[in-house]
Amino acid sequence: MQPVISALNLSKTYRRGTEQVHALASVSFEIGAGELVAVVGPSGSGKTTLLNLLGCMDVPTSGDLSIMGHPTRGLSERALTRLRRDQVGFVFQHFGLIPTLTVEENIRLPGLFSGKQVKHRAAELCTRVGLDHRRRHRPHELSGGEMQRVAIARALLNEPHLLLADEPTGNLDSVTGGSIISLLQELTAQGLTVVVVTHNDRLAESAARRLVLEDGRLAPSI
Amino acid sequence: MLLVAMRNLICRPLRSTLTAAGLALAVAVMAGLSAFGEGYRRSLDSELSRMGMQMMLVPLGCPYDAAARVLKGRSLEHSLPEAAVLEARSDPAVAVAAPMLLASVPRPAQGRTDLWAGIDEAALQLKPWWDAKAGERWFTDDDSVILGAEAAEVEMRSPGDLLYSPEAGRSLRVVGVLARSGTSDDSLFFVSLRTAQQMFDSPGRITAVAIRLHDPEMLREASGRLQEARGAQVVTMTEMMGAFLNLVGSVRSLLVSVALVAVTASGLIVFNTLLGSVLEQTRDLAVMRAVGASRVQVFVLIGVQAGILTGIGGCGGLLLAALLGPLIEQIVRGMVPLAPSGTLLSLTAPVLARGLGLGLAVGLAAGVYPAWQASRVQPALAMRLE
Ligand SMILES: Nc1ncnc2c1ncn2[C@@H]1O[C@H](COP(=O)(O)OP(=O)(O)OP(=O)(O)O)[C@@H](O)[C@H]1O
Ligand SMILES: [Mg+2]
Repeated sequence: MQPVISALNLSKTYRRGTEQVHALASVSFEIGAGELVAVVGPSGSGKTTLLNLLGCMDVPTSGDLSIMGHPTRGLSERALTRLRRDQVGFVFQHFGLIPTLTVEENIRLPGLFSGKQVKHRAAELCTRVGLDHRRRHRPHELSGGEMQRVAIARALLNEPHLLLADEPTGNLDSVTGGSIISLLQELTAQGLTVVVVTHNDRLAESAARRLVLEDGRLAPSI
Repeated sequence: MLLVAMRNLICRPLRSTLTAAGLALAVAVMAGLSAFGEGYRRSLDSELSRMGMQMMLVPLGCPYDAAARVLKGRSLEHSLPEAAVLEARSDPAVAVAAPMLLASVPRPAQGRTDLWAGIDEAALQLKPWWDAKAGERWFTDDDSVILGAEAAEVEMRSPGDLLYSPEAGRSLRVVGVLARSGTSDDSLFFVSLRTAQQMFDSPGRITAVAIRLHDPEMLREASGRLQEARGAQVVTMTEMMGAFLNLVGSVRSLLVSVALVAVTASGLIVFNTLLGSVLEQTRDLAVMRAVGASRVQVFVLIGVQAGILTGIGGCGGLLLAALLGPLIEQIVRGMVPLAPSGTLLSLTAPVLARGLGLGLAVGLAAGVYPAWQASRVQPALAMRLE
């Protein structure tokens, strides 16, 4: 079966004045459909950088990346945006909800940009993450766990094949973090591919596979 | 898109309101000014044509000043010999030549100045629309006085009442009160020419002669001939109008430059607000980019915000112009000569359109750069910003 992600010698070098930071150095791996993969490693090891590349939010300095069989090399900004919009969902550590919009409007936000009819799907997802009673609330009226559920629902709106999450439990206590972990596990069980950056041991252990980063390099898998 | 843009504006009501208000002010000033220009011309035009004359004989001196004072019913320092009337009447082109003697009588005790006008029957031919609201429309004897509508109100007199005049040394009888005409006649005290000459110690003298021609086409030749009259000079109404409009024009261009400063300032306010709002929304914009917004869509989002602000500001400005119009009119009235008594502001459709168009242009121009900045927000920031 075709891998959801295939990365070959991915490198990312940031320029900070005259200094060069090799955030990622020649990383190669493949991830198949329905996998739950945890990316772990010390702070500054390049985990967020990797996630950004996988989500087409940034382009690698060198190396090749394919998402669902689409090679990303040489794609225009516009094409990358479209690929991101249609294939990838994001969950951020700080939830990234728009404070001026209600729960339901936040979930429907990606539909605004894809121009698809999403009313039904948004309502469905709202139910799915157990926030039916909160539809008309603003983000600041929600708990951290609820906000992260909204973020996950929003990430799923465009029916992506790949869900990327950067420390989704980083701002949550262990109980609410646990419920988010179960939600992610359910999603993988239904065939979604999830790549999650985490410091949370429970989340890392629940992942079928771990990518360990150290100084921008992939350590041999344990 | 509209919803998201609106929400953002509504959630910062104070800033949005201030921005829109700044723009509104500029649009109001601009619309008010051009409305003033139009209204002034129109009202001057109608006032001059209502006077039913094409030219005037005035004493030597600054002709425009003299003419302006006469039109307002103010007296002059110099006067003409009454013979000028006969001279004018004997000219073949002249249909009506109406002499008048104007005098202002200060009444320091009441804190006002009464304006008296001595006229003869020719005045009726010049102003066939003269109409009495009460009593007679013409003098019954040498002791008669006819009051303008406002003058009657101030004096609290109606036909039949006596009006003691220290100048005449006797009481005059009010025989009529004129209907309000919206011209300077409203505030005048009319007496017969002879009475006026006697009251104001000027036997055989007059202030000016208003002249109507048989045919306006004959203006040039008639004014050439009458120019010869001794001690008098001719001012045509066309010249007057031109001179006034020139003067008004220079007052206006001063005001326009003030208004331009105001408009520029409000443009900067909109610019600053939007730029600030883009900075503040950086994280939100990055998130939108991350969940699939294209650069164009982000640009449009900020553009829509700018559009809403300018739209509201522009309409508010027109409303403001309509509301504050009378106030502006008062101020401007003091700055221009011969402000006609009709309304000076005319908020016509083209004037409104111009004001609104300017507002939109300024607002959108001020929105372009912030919107462009917004479209350059990197989606990767969504991961890093709190
Ligand atoms: N935009 C940037 N410009 C310059 N250097 C950057 C930029 N982004 C990241 N870096 C550097 O790249 C390296 C990897 O950063 P990255 O954020 O990927 O680490 P991380 O593993 O996510 O760390 P953490 O666990 O603290 O989130 C760090 O040294 C960081 O300082
Ligand atoms: Mg990180």
